[in-house]
Amino acid sequence: MSTGEKIKVLYIDDEQNNLNGFKATFRFDYTIYLAVNVQQAYEQLNAHPDISVILSDQRMPDKTGAQFFEEMREQHPQPVRMLITGYADIESVIDAVNKGHIFRYIKKPWTDTDIRSAIEEGYKFYLTNSMLVAKNQELQSAYDELGKFAYSVTHDLRGPLLSVIGALDLAKTMDSIDELREIFDMMDAAVRKLDEFVKNTHEYYNLKRGKLVFEELDFNSIINDMAAMFKIAGKMDNIRFSYMVNQKEAFISDGITIKIILNNLLSNAFKFQRKNEADKFVELNVDVTGDNAVIAVRDNGIGIHESHISNIFSMFYRATSEEPGSGFGLYNVKDALNKLNGRIEVASVINEGTTFKVTIPGRANGTN
Amino acid sequence: MAQTKQHFIVIDDSKLDCFIAEKIIRNTGKSESIRSFQVAKDALEYIQNTKPDENAHTVILVDIQMPVMNGFEFVEEFEKLPLHITSHYTIYIISSSINDNDLNRVHNYPSVKQFLNKPINSNNLAILLQS
Repeated sequence: MSTGEKIKVLYIDDEQNNLNGFKATFRFDYTIYLAVNVQQAYEQLNAHPDISVILSDQRMPDKTGAQFFEEMREQHPQPVRMLITGYADIESVIDAVNKGHIFRYIKKPWTDTDIRSAIEEGYKFYLTNSMLVAKNQELQSAYDELGKFAYSVTHDLRGPLLSVIGALDLAKTMDSIDELREIFDMMDAAVRKLDEFVKNTHEYYNLKRGKLVFEELDFNSIINDMAAMFKIAGKMDNIRFSYMVNQKEAFISDGITIKIILNNLLSNAFKFQRKNEADKFVELNVDVTGDNAVIAVRDNGIGIHESHISNIFSMFYRATSEEPGSGFGLYNVKDALNKLNGRIEVASVINEGTTFKVTIPGRANGTN
Repeated sequence: MAQTKQHFIVIDDSKLDCFIAEKIIRNTGKSESIRSFQVAKDALEYIQNTKPDENAHTVILVDIQMPVMNGFEFVEEFEKLPLHITSHYTIYIISSSINDNDLNRVHNYPSVKQFLNKPINSNNLAILLQS
């Protein structure tokens, strides 16, 4: 058996002596649960859903072991079932295999070695099965996402392309330079939107498949790099950008994932501004201790309506048509935070602004 | 010839697509008026609160994928409006979607006349000008 916890075994027998003997023999190797009848067996299963191996006597007053297995399989499909019996009548063996789906058939009187090898083998089978169930669930959710993805990609990739095709057709019929300029500007916006979508798709892929690289992070240098870019963008749209980084201790995390989070939150803050506001601003505050990095991005933009807040982290959800968006940004943020065990809070008032607060736990040094 | 002039309403969250549609419709010289909306809800409100022109028909071109209220949701809300309003309009869904579900779904709405592929150009526009 691998390191860590002991295998959890349930043994059912109507003779108390057998139960006692079983426990005395195996209690050091396994965590043993006992039941003197079917009723008790159910109680144990309900109380300990992580029981992985069940051994049952065949001859019991209320039910045979095979009948019990057949019946319990529905509610507790996971544990591996083994039947113990002194009477080798072929009918009960057939029933136990066909209806009870048992893993092993153990003859009485058993030897320690029989039981031990049966439990070890059964546990391996249990682990493989559990893993298969988990993998299947993972696969299913990946499939669901892929379906959604494929559907939206046709829109988000084709949309801007078709716009440009349409615009080009139209441009061919135009003579006025002013009109042409206008249409070029719009084509420019469409192509940029397409580019943003492709970049976001790349981020999405990185988050899904990429491995995290944990290293010591210096938030000052991360944010200085980004700030330069956002400052220029801010100047063009007349948005004040201020930031404060307070980091005195070393912080270990994955830099690329944190950049994805910062970049998306900041782009949104710059994007969803109120056009008529005279003093537009975006504020970034980063507070880092060794245990936690707390990032707050605040703006005085359009705000998010209460009814949209629960949806903004869904893939392809867009709460507004005011500004172009791929519906990818906050989904990626949430995905990134899941990978780092972080969390996010949103406070927003329509026409006053939005604050996103992200808390990311730092990796303790040396663990991986 | 009973061909009267038509009004047009374009609903698309893409500013460029609205612009293209407007230009192309205007170039046909057969439109009485063109109005475009980037938010489907605004279009719905406009239709609800505007007395229809008794002497003309209005063609609505609506995109499918839009934030907040998508094209199908718009059509569903539109169909709840009283007949004396809706009877003055014909809806065409116009989309970049090549998804079969979207294409088939169009048949579920009696008020939708046809599905048209983007980009809108003078050829596919000709179809709705004849009808």
